[in-house]
Amino acid sequence: MNIIYLIRAVAFNSFFESVRNRFFTLFAVFAFTAVYASLLAGVMAVDQEARVLADFGLALIELTALAYALFSASSALLKEAETKTIYLVFSRPVPRWAYLAGKLAGALLTAALMLIVMGGIHLSLLAFRDFGLPDCYAWALAGTFLKLAVIISFAFFVSLFSTSAVSTLVISSVMWTLGHFAAETRFLAEQAPGLKGAAFKILLWLIPNLQIFNARDSAGAACALGPAVFFSAAAWVAASYLAALWMLSRKEF
Amino acid sequence: MRGRGLHLLAAAALTWGAGGFAARNFRSPFPPPSEMRVPAAGATGDMLALALGARRLFSDVWFIRLMQYYGTVEVHDDKEPQARGAAEPAGHEGHHHEHGEFGTGNYPEFFSRARHVLEVDHSFVAAGLYGAASLAFNMQRAGEAEELLRYGLRYSPREWKYLSVLAAIGYSKADNPAAVAQAIAPLLKDPDCPVMLKQQAAFLNKKQGNYALAAAIYADILATSHDEAYVNNARKQLELLSRHEIPPK
Amino acid sequence: MTVPAVLFTDVEKTYKRPRLLGAEYHAALKGLSFEIKAGEVTGLLGLNGAGKTTIMKLITGLLFPTAGIVRVFGHSPADSAAKARVGFLPELPYFPPQIKPGEALFYYGRLSGMAGAELAPAVDSSMEKTGLKPHAGKRISEFSKGMLQRLGLAQALLHKPELLVLDEPVSGLDPLAIHDIRALLAGLNSEGRAIFISSHSISEAEKLCSRVLIMVRGSLAATVTREHWESSPGGLEKIFVEAVK
Repeated sequence: MNIIYLIRAVAFNSFFESVRNRFFTLFAVFAFTAVYASLLAGVMAVDQEARVLADFGLALIELTALAYALFSASSALLKEAETKTIYLVFSRPVPRWAYLAGKLAGALLTAALMLIVMGGIHLSLLAFRDFGLPDCYAWALAGTFLKLAVIISFAFFVSLFSTSAVSTLVISSVMWTLGHFAAETRFLAEQAPGLKGAAFKILLWLIPNLQIFNARDSAGAACALGPAVFFSAAAWVAASYLAALWMLSRKEF
Repeated sequence: MRGRGLHLLAAAALTWGAGGFAARNFRSPFPPPSEMRVPAAGATGDMLALALGARRLFSDVWFIRLMQYYGTVEVHDDKEPQARGAAEPAGHEGHHHEHGEFGTGNYPEFFSRARHVLEVDHSFVAAGLYGAASLAFNMQRAGEAEELLRYGLRYSPREWKYLSVLAAIGYSKADNPAAVAQAIAPLLKDPDCPVMLKQQAAFLNKKQGNYALAAAIYADILATSHDEAYVNNARKQLELLSRHEIPPK
Repeated sequence: MTVPAVLFTDVEKTYKRPRLLGAEYHAALKGLSFEIKAGEVTGLLGLNGAGKTTIMKLITGLLFPTAGIVRVFGHSPADSAAKARVGFLPELPYFPPQIKPGEALFYYGRLSGMAGAELAPAVDSSMEKTGLKPHAGKRISEFSKGMLQRLGLAQALLHKPELLVLDEPVSGLDPLAIHDIRALLAGLNSEGRAIFISSHSISEAEKLCSRVLIMVRGSLAATVTREHWESSPGGLEKIFVEAVK
């Protein structure tokens, strides 16, 4: 049996289910409204309107995509188990690793589509205001996608041992927050002496540094994401996937 | 299937570590949190800025708050709020925002608020220039302006725009308006150049009789700025220059 | 000697429910041994909690036995070789309401490894067999419970399995739907497929099965053949009641 064909079938099924989901429409409307609201904020910024519009828009795109991605990743496997859809999958010759890879690919495809759609809306609004393409825009979206990929795969892992979608959502959100504090944790690790410093250093290995994906933070310098950033993202995604597979391969339905 | 559990777990741990290893050299470009002198009312915002990885966005918010603060009724030394008004300092022939002048007077929190914008995102050069130019040329607080620029230079040491304004402030203190105009000149076509610096340059050129240059700068303000007060003033000055009704120096 | 469709040898299944301190264990199956021959229709009767669904899930690889051996056509149920030969209808199957039955069947067909020229005729044939063809244009949200059950059967039939494992296939259906499904299963059996049906309905088991396993609290209380219940006064119902009392 062609495994790639199987993974693709699961991925597209998961993707189209997300696209069909009413929440997707809701989020698209929300994103549109939110980006429009950023226009108002832009007016308040007078001569810095272009920067403020770009920053507000990109931040809202990231948070909207994050909210949807976490929501769907937290409930994807749980819903399939609750509705017994998973019985119809695992009673077939579908390896669990292929199913998980397909589900993850579907979630990433959904996130990519959300970013593209919202990015398009955002750029249209900027063009409407006679502003050009903000610096590093494509890199910023690419960084957001990598960040989402890391947190979505982490949410998949968490969803396999947590008791509800809400707890997965909370744990993943905490990881998102900690991931953005990684640079500050490093600062504390370098400042704090003894045990405290060592504890911070251990934390640094446990928490993915999500700040490395913020392409536009390095404004002034080259904002292109380097190979190390892509490698880190791939490694964190793969690690979460393997841990999730460890859980899933032991799981009974 | 159940037997391969530990292998998977070990592979997951190793892969996770590899991700951290690849990212180990990353250093945040931002000033460390210990440098944030957060006004109490803004502590929550700063926490969110860090937690969401959205320092750029929150520095924008702080910048908008700085402009709103600068656009409100000033606070005088006697702590009584008073509408900005009558006196027009040398070099300022118009009004700031909807008020009648260009932000003269006492805004005691202006420096700390302007610095905080850079503490949150040091790369917001336009905010640094805006703050320094307002302090130096509108409020005559050259010392604070220099301190703000020096803070900006600490994290953006190769930022020539900061150096230009720093030089302009030095010439201004030495009462050398021609040199001030010259120092500001390279900044004028830069998108980060705050409008009050453009206006300062236009005024100094006009004062020295360089009417064509002054008119070109006013025309640029008219074309690029969204600040109504500066735009209205530029329009007025262009009209005067075109009719040769040049106000006395 | 023909390999049995299903073989259970001293199978035990114990569920572990984690508690704040330690865990709680519940034995669902104890020392269970039986076999289902290829081409045979076997019924599984028992009260709630007797272990019927656990057996079905062990056959389809959704659960792992705590002890003992389960074999499906000579393979472990987790093996693709076993799964490719089994079609499973769980109790009250769920399908996304906003899609059409054909879309759902195409998806499950792909998961069964079917593709290209093989897939469309298989979907068509399954819909034909289960009487879904006239409803192909409807969304699943418009389906009645009976229609959903037919769709569940259609997905189980897609890859032409040699063993059908059906958990309560006629539960909650109206008499006409029950009649149709019974006829369908009889037809499938006449094609040589083994069918293993779990049911609460003794009369359904009587009509369809050639052999019935009666489960009581996780153990096999009796194995009754058609000849046996047909020759017993009171039939299968009496045998069942006596076994579970």
